[in-house]
Amino acid sequence: MDAKKFVLLVLLGGALSPISQAQIKHIEMRVEGMT
Amino acid sequence: MKQHLGRQSGVQSVDVSLLDGKVQIVPKEDGRIDPGQLLKAVYDSGVSVAEMDVIARGKIARDSSGELALQVAPNQSFNLEPNDMSKQLEPLAGQPTVITVRGQLYKKPAGKKKSKPDVSAPRKLLILEVQKKE
Repeated sequence: MDAKKFVLLVLLGGALSPISQAQIKHIEMRVEGMT
Repeated sequence: MKQHLGRQSGVQSVDVSLLDGKVQIVPKEDGRIDPGQLLKAVYDSGVSVAEMDVIARGKIARDSSGELALQVAPNQSFNLEPNDMSKQLEPLAGQPTVITVRGQLYKKPAGKKKSKPDVSAPRKLLILEVQKKE
């Protein structure tokens, strides 16, 4: 792989990785009327 | 209700505590989960949701109307309900900082015994706590 492609890959990875790790981790609901 | 919720897309596990009326949902690691659909699923199983809290990780962004939002996936974000916590996060808009927050996505309107939540309504996230900034 030439240096130009490598740099592009690193930059792209850096730009995409923070949002790819983003997500909803946990949900908690308080409910009423449950028996 | 547990089975009903477990069938929703993006749900990994559901834990129901009859004692304190709490339902804990763990989303799949890489799955997209729709809180509106979960509200509907609970309502359809015959109980009503008083509150829905989430722990979410994402970036602060501004939507097309300039409102602050927490982007939790490339195509999923929640507009922030303005409060002191959201004001503190304002400088992070558009920055690469990833934050983990605990917030409230739904609260049953006061005075209503049983109300069907509007699943199509955009949910606003009321930030209660910023747990981590990375």
